[in-house]
Formats: sequence, C-alpha cells, structure tokens
Amino acid sequence: MRVGLIASTAGHLAVLLWGVVSFPNAKPFDVPPVDSLPVDLVPISELTKLRIGEKDAEVREVEATKPVKPKTPEVKPETPPVQAKTETPTPTPTPAKQPAKQAAKQPAAAPEPEPAPPTPPRPAEPVKAPEPAPAPAPKEAVAEAPKEKAPEPAEKKVAEAPKPVPSVRPRSKPTPPPKATKKKKAFNPNQIAALLNKVDPAGGGTPSASENPASLGSRKGLSNVSMSQSELDALRSQISQCWNPPAGSAGANDLNVRLKVYLRPDGGVDMQPEVLNSSSNPSFTIAAESARRAVLRCAPYSLPAAKYDAWREVIINFDPRDLLGG
Amino acid sequence: MNPVELAQTTLAAPQGDMSFFALFLQAHLVVKIVMVGLIGASVWCWAIIVDKWLLYARTKRQMSRFETVFWSGQSLEELYRTLSGRANHSMAALFIAAMREWKRSHEGARPAIASLRQRIDRVMDVTIAREAERLEARLLVLATVGSAAPFIGLFGTVWGIMTSFQAIAASKNTNLAVVAPGIAEALLATALGLLAAIPAVIAYNKLSADAGKLSARMEGFADEFSAILSRQIDERG
Repeated sequence: MRVGLIASTAGHLAVLLWGVVSFPNAKPFDVPPVDSLPVDLVPISELTKLRIGEKDAEVREVEATKPVKPKTPEVKPETPPVQAKTETPTPTPTPAKQPAKQAAKQPAAAPEPEPAPPTPPRPAEPVKAPEPAPAPAPKEAVAEAPKEKAPEPAEKKVAEAPKPVPSVRPRSKPTPPPKATKKKKAFNPNQIAALLNKVDPAGGGTPSASENPASLGSRKGLSNVSMSQSELDALRSQISQCWNPPAGSAGANDLNVRLKVYLRPDGGVDMQPEVLNSSSNPSFTIAAESARRAVLRCAPYSLPAAKYDAWREVIINFDPRDLLGG
Repeated sequence: MNPVELAQTTLAAPQGDMSFFALFLQAHLVVKIVMVGLIGASVWCWAIIVDKWLLYARTKRQMSRFETVFWSGQSLEELYRTLSGRANHSMAALFIAAMREWKRSHEGARPAIASLRQRIDRVMDVTIAREAERLEARLLVLATVGSAAPFIGLFGTVWGIMTSFQAIAASKNTNLAVVAPGIAEALLATALGLLAAIPAVIAYNKLSADAGKLSARMEGFADEFSAILSRQIDERG
C-alpha cells in the first residue's frame, strides 16, 4: 500500500505542477471589431399617410439638410449688388437677421449687405415702407428669424451659391454678422474657383465631417433593390383610394381578390390586371371587377422609377374586410 | 463595508486572473472543502489502483510459478516441506492449508480418514475466501468514489454558482465579466469530481474483473488438488 500511496501522491503533484505551468490565464478571445449599424424604428404610417398639403403654406427650409459654407470674406461679388426690392417688407430687428428672410422669400434677388463692418445697422433698407413695429403678417417671419440667429444668413447664402463644397456640415460656428457677405445669384465659374480655393477649414463646419457622411448612404449600396415596405404601402394606399368594394354583399369574408398588375415605367397600367384566385361566392366576380376597376382608375401611380424592375409586376390583395371593418 | 461594496471588490478583483490556484483561492469555503476532498479522494484512488495493480501482477506471477513447480512431478511432501517455512499467498496458501489438514489427519494413533475429504474441501474454501478478500480489499473504495465524486463535484459547483449569483445580485451587475469568474471557479469543482471519478470507475471495472479471474483460477486449482487428495485417500483407505 505504501508504494501505491507514494506513487499516487507523486503523480498528483506532477499533474498539479503541470496544471500550474500550462494552465495559465485564459487567453482572451480575439474579437474582430464589428461596425455598429444604426437602426431607426420609423413608423411606416408617417410615410404612407401623408398630410395633405396647402398650396399657400409658407415655404420653409429644413435647416439640417443644408450644408453650410464657412465664411469667405475675401470673395467680391462681381455684379453690382441687387438692392432688396421686396414686395413684402421685412422689419429688421438686427441687421444680420434681416437678409435671412428675404433670401428665403426671394431667391431671385438676394439682398446684399455691405461687407464693411461700420455700417451694419442698415445694410438693406427695404424700399417700401419699413415698419419698425411688425405687422401681423411679418410677425411670423420675425419670430422665425431671431430663432436661428447668425447661422441663418450663412446657410441661405450657400443654398443659393452654385455648388458649395459638400464636406462642411451645417452645425457650424456662427459667422460673425459684420463679415457676412451675400453672394449674388448669377452663375460665375471664376467665383466658384475663388470659393473653392479660399475655404478656410477652421472657419466653420465640423472638422471630422468626411466626404461621405454615413447618412448619405453606403458606398457599396445596391441601386436596384426590392421595394421597401413603405413603397408597397404607398402603392396600396394609392389604389385603395379608388376602390369601391362591393359593400353589403353577402359573405364578404371570402371576397379576397388577388390581382396581378402589370405596370409601365411611367406608372401606368400595362394590360388588364389578372385575377389570380377564385371563390365560390357568387359576388366574387363583382368584387374582382371592382378591384380591377380600382387599379385602372388610379392608373398613373407614383413609384420610384429606379426600382421599376421591382414593381413591373405587382400582386395586390384586395380584402374587403380591411375597408368594411370586418 | 456594505454587501454591495464587498461584492464589487470580490468580483472586480479576480478578473483576468484565472489560473489554477487563483480559481481555488477565490472559491467559497464549502467549495474549497469539496475540492480538497476530491483531490484527496483522487490521491487515495490512485494509490489503491497502483497497489492493486502491483498485487495482481505479483499474484499472477506467483501462481504461475507455483503451478509449474506443482505439476513438475515433485513429491507433494517435499513441496510442503519447502513451502511451509515461509508466508504464502494464493495457491501456495491453498496447498499448505490442504496439506496441513491431510497431515494432521494422518498423525496420531487413529487416523481420521472417514470425513477427511470434506474437511480438506472446507479448509480450502476458507482459504480461497480469505485470499479473495485480500485481493478485493479496498476495491469498493474505487466504486464509491467513481459513483459519488461527480455528485460531490456538482455540489461544489452548485454551491459556487449560488454564491456567485448572490454576489451578482448584490453588485446589481450582470456583465459577463462579473459572472464568469465565479462560474469558472465553481466549475472547477465539477472538473475535479470527474477527474477523480473517471479513473476510479475504469480501474474498478478492470481490477474487479482481474480479481474475479484470479479467484476462479484458485478455485480451479482447489478442485484439482481436492481430486488428487481424494484419490489418495481412496487408494490408501
């Protein structure tokens, strides 16, 4: 027994020693860094149930989508500055905010404040009856103008400039109001060159903005992809406006009509839509006919032309329960 | 120190240090006892395995040597005289026991021949039982360790995971880096249990089969020897 005990103890000690030597800290896994993929959950109804627009609504420009141009004070306009000859006189609470509104209202005639700092108080005097006290109509404009303070002139200016460098992002340092120079509308290649060359990287814009911002799409993205759910939904909502389902017909439950619709690139219907299914319900023919009529009636559909391959043949389900509240 | 701080310090410190001893030292006291017990059981099992291995090899060798001597045509009296002086095991012990009974029955004025055959058989049975017991001693330890060690290790693991979950609850952090060391340390107990149990089970099966074979060989010899002696008794009587 002694031999066995000694041998066993020695063996265990050896194994333990080996374990201490060759059972060191666990090696951490090599995890390749994975690019994070931003995911937004957007309700589809926002895109498909569009609000009805008003023709006389005020035009607003979305601020975040406009690239901003850093200050380029050296650029001299080559054409004489067009004095603001606006039909709607805008009150000028501060000189810097005044051109903003006019620029939005009047793309054809950009106001030109004088670049000289000593004369900012009245750079663009409205021709007609400047009212110090804002009338109700301009009130709205004033309310908007002070909100967006100094960056606003810069943005508007660039929006009208022929093509600014896209690398600069709108979240820029505000341009000092006295230096804000208005460029005129006329297309002038020399001026573009001047603009491009004189871009001061430190003057504005986020320095990290790359040439291809991620929000503008993937470099290797597909151009011809299948239709998104929102586009299908949009087509469905266009059709359903024209559809008068056979209301009151008996057994509306099995009046589900499947139509195969052939579309032309311009959105029109190519040939007679095919009814794909059938039913024993006697009013099925009526339902199918009404569905076919609906497709033909709404004919030019507005669909993304780039994806014509995806919607050349569309199968649409007409379910009366959706409309009859069944 | 409130329990949260305690848990955070005990859980935050060992991260990355997953070596053998570090895992052991981090473990809860119960888990430590289980681990030590399992290592002890493993040492004891291997001691038994080595011991039995040597014993069976020796016994087998002795049996072969005795059988060659026994069937070599040597006189039984002479063999008895050479063997009786020393401590004998297995077949030799069987032979000595039977011969001693034979000799005692023929000593004295009135030889007790009548039931000598039964007496010799009984003596040899007793000797076989004693030898078999010697061969199979401590084999049951192997069987016990083989069946119980996994459960003991599992107990240690469950206990360790329990305490590590308590620590997680106290630190309110389910990060894998917090959870993993406690579980790794608890799993070490199961690993040790299996480490002790697997060799024990294998060795138990092998050794008990060997012991059975040796016993069968002794019984075969006993039957043969009993036949020889009964022929002698009948020829003399």
